[in-house]
Amino acid sequence: MTEILNSYITSNLIVVLLVTGGVALWRAISRNKLWREAFRSVYRRRRIAVWVCAVYLAIGLSDSIAWVGGGQVGTDAVARHEAKTLLDRAFGDKKEKSYSAPFADAEFYAKSPLRFPGKHVLGTDILGRDVLFVTLKGVRIALLIGGLTTLIAIPLALLMGVLAGFFGKYVDDAVFFVFSVLQSMPSILLLIALITALPKSTLSVCIALAVTSWVGFCRLSRGETMKLRELDYVYAARALGVSELRIIWRHILPNLTHLIVITFALTFSSQVLSEAVLAWLNIGVEGSWGQMIAQAKNELSRDPVVWWNLAAASIALFGLILAINLVGDAIRDVLDPRTARENQ
Amino acid sequence: MTEKARVFSWLSAALALFVLLACTNNPYPETDDGKHVLYASFGEAPKSLDPAVAYDTAAHEITGQVHDTLLEYHYLKRPYTLIPGLATAVPKGEPQADGTVVYSFELRAGAQFQDDPCFALDGDGTRTREISADDVAFEVMRIADPLVNSPVIDPFSNLSGFAEFSARLTRLLKADPGFKKLPARERYQRALPLDGVRVVDATHLELRLKNPYPQILYWFAMPFTTPVPWEAVEYYDGNHGHPHLADHPVASGPFMLSIYDKQSRMLLERNPNWYGAKHPEWRAPGATYPSEGEAEDARAGRLAAAGKALPFLDRVDFRREKEAIPAFTKFLEGYYDTSGIIRESFDKMVKDERLSPEMQALGMRLDKSVTAATYYIGFNMDDPVVGSKGGERSKKLRQAMSLAIDVKEYMRLFMNRRGVPAESVLPPGIFGYDADYRNPYRHVDIAKAKSLLSQAGFDGGIDPKTQKPLHLTFDTPDTSPDGRLRYQFFVNAWRQLGIDVEISATNYNKFQEKVHDGAYQIFMWGWVADYPDAENFMFLLTSDMARTKNDGPNTANFSNPEFDRLFLQMKARGNDAERLELIRKMRAIIEDQCPWIELFHPEDYLLLQEWMKNVKSAGLSVPTLKYQDLDPALRARDRAAWNKPVVWPAYALGALLVLVLAPGVLTFMRERQ
Amino acid sequence: MLAYIVRRAAYSVVVVLGVLFFLFALFFLVTKPDDIARKAIGDKAMPAVIAQWKKNHGYDRPLWPGPGHMKDNMLVEHYRRMLTFDFGRSDADDSVIMDRIERGAGPSLSLTLPEFVLGLTFGIGIALFVAFFRETYIDRSAVVLSVLAMSISSLLYIIGGQYLIGKELRWFPISGFDPSWAVRARFLALPIVVGLFAGIGGSVRFYRTVFIEDIYKDYVRTARAKGAGEIRIMTRHVLPNAMIPILTNVVTEIPFLLMGSLLLEASFGVPGLGSLTVDAINANDFATLRTMVYIGSLFFVVGQILTDISYTIVDPRVRLD
Repeated sequence: MTEILNSYITSNLIVVLLVTGGVALWRAISRNKLWREAFRSVYRRRRIAVWVCAVYLAIGLSDSIAWVGGGQVGTDAVARHEAKTLLDRAFGDKKEKSYSAPFADAEFYAKSPLRFPGKHVLGTDILGRDVLFVTLKGVRIALLIGGLTTLIAIPLALLMGVLAGFFGKYVDDAVFFVFSVLQSMPSILLLIALITALPKSTLSVCIALAVTSWVGFCRLSRGETMKLRELDYVYAARALGVSELRIIWRHILPNLTHLIVITFALTFSSQVLSEAVLAWLNIGVEGSWGQMIAQAKNELSRDPVVWWNLAAASIALFGLILAINLVGDAIRDVLDPRTARENQ
Repeated sequence: MTEKARVFSWLSAALALFVLLACTNNPYPETDDGKHVLYASFGEAPKSLDPAVAYDTAAHEITGQVHDTLLEYHYLKRPYTLIPGLATAVPKGEPQADGTVVYSFELRAGAQFQDDPCFALDGDGTRTREISADDVAFEVMRIADPLVNSPVIDPFSNLSGFAEFSARLTRLLKADPGFKKLPARERYQRALPLDGVRVVDATHLELRLKNPYPQILYWFAMPFTTPVPWEAVEYYDGNHGHPHLADHPVASGPFMLSIYDKQSRMLLERNPNWYGAKHPEWRAPGATYPSEGEAEDARAGRLAAAGKALPFLDRVDFRREKEAIPAFTKFLEGYYDTSGIIRESFDKMVKDERLSPEMQALGMRLDKSVTAATYYIGFNMDDPVVGSKGGERSKKLRQAMSLAIDVKEYMRLFMNRRGVPAESVLPPGIFGYDADYRNPYRHVDIAKAKSLLSQAGFDGGIDPKTQKPLHLTFDTPDTSPDGRLRYQFFVNAWRQLGIDVEISATNYNKFQEKVHDGAYQIFMWGWVADYPDAENFMFLLTSDMARTKNDGPNTANFSNPEFDRLFLQMKARGNDAERLELIRKMRAIIEDQCPWIELFHPEDYLLLQEWMKNVKSAGLSVPTLKYQDLDPALRARDRAAWNKPVVWPAYALGALLVLVLAPGVLTFMRERQ
Repeated sequence: MLAYIVRRAAYSVVVVLGVLFFLFALFFLVTKPDDIARKAIGDKAMPAVIAQWKKNHGYDRPLWPGPGHMKDNMLVEHYRRMLTFDFGRSDADDSVIMDRIERGAGPSLSLTLPEFVLGLTFGIGIALFVAFFRETYIDRSAVVLSVLAMSISSLLYIIGGQYLIGKELRWFPISGFDPSWAVRARFLALPIVVGLFAGIGGSVRFYRTVFIEDIYKDYVRTARAKGAGEIRIMTRHVLPNAMIPILTNVVTEIPFLLMGSLLLEASFGVPGLGSLTVDAINANDFATLRTMVYIGSLFFVVGQILTDISYTIVDPRVRLD
């Protein structure tokens, strides 16, 4: 399978799905008083962080909507035939020959004049690419890593956890065994083993990250389901002859949603950080901030020092992780009844 | 509280003491400061130290120093000149009536191997023995042995009977499963004769070549043909708790490997059994510092040690440095004695091709030399799109792609211009290199490239079959972020023509698999000379050496009967006018066919600390450590001056912490009272 | 209690067998031994040499048990080797894996042990300090600082430490290792400091939550009502009661100390097990890689059992059965 994720049609499709899903979710939330209140409360606590997340999301989306034709291309004759995203079009073709400092008029080392003097807010890298542009391109990758991984891991974990917790017995034994096995391998080693054995692609990295991260949530949802199973209204529903799948759907799952939301936020950031470590070991995802940092680390030894690459990638990564961590904490504080009580 | 406070203060005092003790960046024990120890670094430990197998520069860095060879290169003279090493003289080829050529070596009598427990196989308590011509013959047979898997079977097949000997070994292996388990000596006995290698007596060895191949002598200046004791091969088999020969050389050179920890350290120490150390009175050319060299050597003080007995160093300590930058930083701190220049610091080190004044003030010196190597982008000529099957069309495509690559820009971005742009296969310093030759396809001309591309049927880079930009694949085993940037440079250049080249960076395994199956289009490769002769470069494009068909080093799978014919003529000749003419003809074929985009011949910039003596870089991978020397007192002085730690930030940080915390702590305590 | 431990250990054995099967699937079904052989000994190697290499490394058997080779197959051989700790030789350079593990454990431990002890001391110490000053600017800024610290990628701590402390201030060597203890201490100082900084945010935040939770509990109120001083409350009441969550966190990690730290070792040139693993990745040395994963999982299950035992020691109320 050649990188399906890189096809612009898939990319557009994902945008459409995400937007529709987002709108549907929004409507669902605004109808439900409890959730509406919760989210309002999160927003009130972490106004800035929520907006930062939104900006990242917007950049990621604008870098996912792509079509062929139009746009500036400059000397690159192939680019005319390739799909370009909104972000590409907004930036146009601003390539230089090599390094230039932020807002510089001339090349950093060769001192020859630039094609676009003063236009590079964060300078250019060794191949003359605008660093701001490259960094913003990383947003989509980061969101893809965090999002895709979480989207693989959570449903899987939920399915296994709920089945195990609800049906118990053999199902539970089997699930418990599988996650005992996965959990007992140190996650970084398991990740490395998976990535070296799987074909090299973004999807492989995401799958590997998902395999190493679903265990925790599976355990949580299993435990929670076990508790819910014993509640009176579930017994009542059973007594009335409601089918088991229906009980799961109507009574168990809705009571797990707050856990899902919390876990989503908390695993998201750890996935992005893990990928940075993988990039350091040369097995990360093409174009990620981790890869940028790995490439830029040697530039600190240049004289005079080239700092803007490292700074751009680090700050972009830090900003996303911090924002998501803060929002995630706020969500947990609001939604998790245990901490909510303690914080009063 | 009081008791705890006391314990706590003791603990913090101990911690502070630890920090004070540890607070120096000297990576070596102080006890070694005054010794003649050379500090060097290595990235990856050599894969094998078996002299019949070790082929890369990293391995030769060790095998070259511990193994003595029959012949050696003169340390200072250029072009490279052979001098006798373990042999008493450089033999001359004696053409025979039947067309064969004979070379007679005489070995130094009385030279010994290093001390090693493996010699106990000759009798209890024996620690060493004398080197015999049998040991050299044994090593040549090992090269033929399929179980040894030597990479240099091809050149040695010029010895008469060598290929047959090797084939007999293979046959015996297949026929009898027990054969493999026999000791190597026994196996070779059964596969004889090998009339190309005749042991006359303990000190005389006769080689017979089935056809003229004057380059054979160079192979006797490389560790491949060092004497190897059969005891070592038998003893170091990797079983019974003994290491494998690949990790434990038993040799006869000036140094011996006393610590070999692939993860962190390799240590060479003087070999007391070396003939130079035992018999300085012989004043053997391989054990005495040369008294003549080039004019520049006298100026650089490289003749001051003339006539002194080698070696000068007591130990050479190789420390593992996985990354170049920390290693270079340590060099600047005085903890390594010589160093290449990392790309990142080049502009600080070198101004206008000379050492920067800043570094000159530190006493450093810069030694430059062009490496006998050629780097190129190759096309797989078996590929239907870029290869020879596409005929004229593909040729024009290759020419167009060559015209788009601006190697000077590449060298500026990635190599600080350290190198010579390559116009042909041969690097400078090799007979046949022509500094005035200009390859018309190796000078950027986008307009011409585009017109060639149109003629090839790819107008504007559009593939008529798909109506999309022509899609090609650039295969590489390099997955590093840095490699990515380099390949992107080429991709960007081709995109100007409208050709869409995808970088396929797979791991080494997959890459080898692709190369093995011939499933590749474009690749980048470099070839570093084994020995200074045009034959060693031109053979890379002969059809016998084709990668896919014969597993040879001709990765481009270039095949041209005329080229092959010229090659055979060129190979057998000495360096004369006719040979030059043959090389010109071959060059013209390559220029037109364009199986390679020749990129550059790298230039080596070696930085030397003030205290280093007698260092001359060689463009070939040849042993040089026995000639080098250093001044430990000067080194100790400079190191002390360069490495004073900056301590004020520690105090500043502590003070800041107290300032920030104090008001809170004080008010809080007051309130809680 | 004993019965529980035995049952627990038995289950752990089953889990480890499961891990081994997982590794078998990953490294024998996905990767072909021929490729590994060609990579290790060169593309030009003759089929006979490849066969010999595969034999030396035990890759010359049929994959699954079948008639005629019920015992002599890769699956059984894989289990036999791993369970008897006969890990064989590295795929990349033929070195004996067990030797390399033995040699790497020392350097790893000399990095991770001090880092672990110091990290724990500082983490708990600072968290106690912060919890003591709860609801003041010290507490609030500590919480903010630790979230900030957690959001920084560990790569940046490494880059920053090497650049600032190593290169600019020249306090310690940038990277490397030496067997002699006096020199080794110099080399280890920088990775330990960097490791401490990278981990401190998370641990302060974690332990602070643990302590704060306890501070608001009834027994603390009682103690305070009885006139106990704040310091006494923190050290005599809160700290011992918070031991269970601390233990869960700590004991599981102890066996992993032997495994070393992948990132720190690789970046600072410490030739421990972490470096061994990184080298194995770069060299596609699957034999070493799967051994490391296996050993890691062994350590994990041992850690789990140790944790359970330590519960009963710290808190007599906990009874395992």
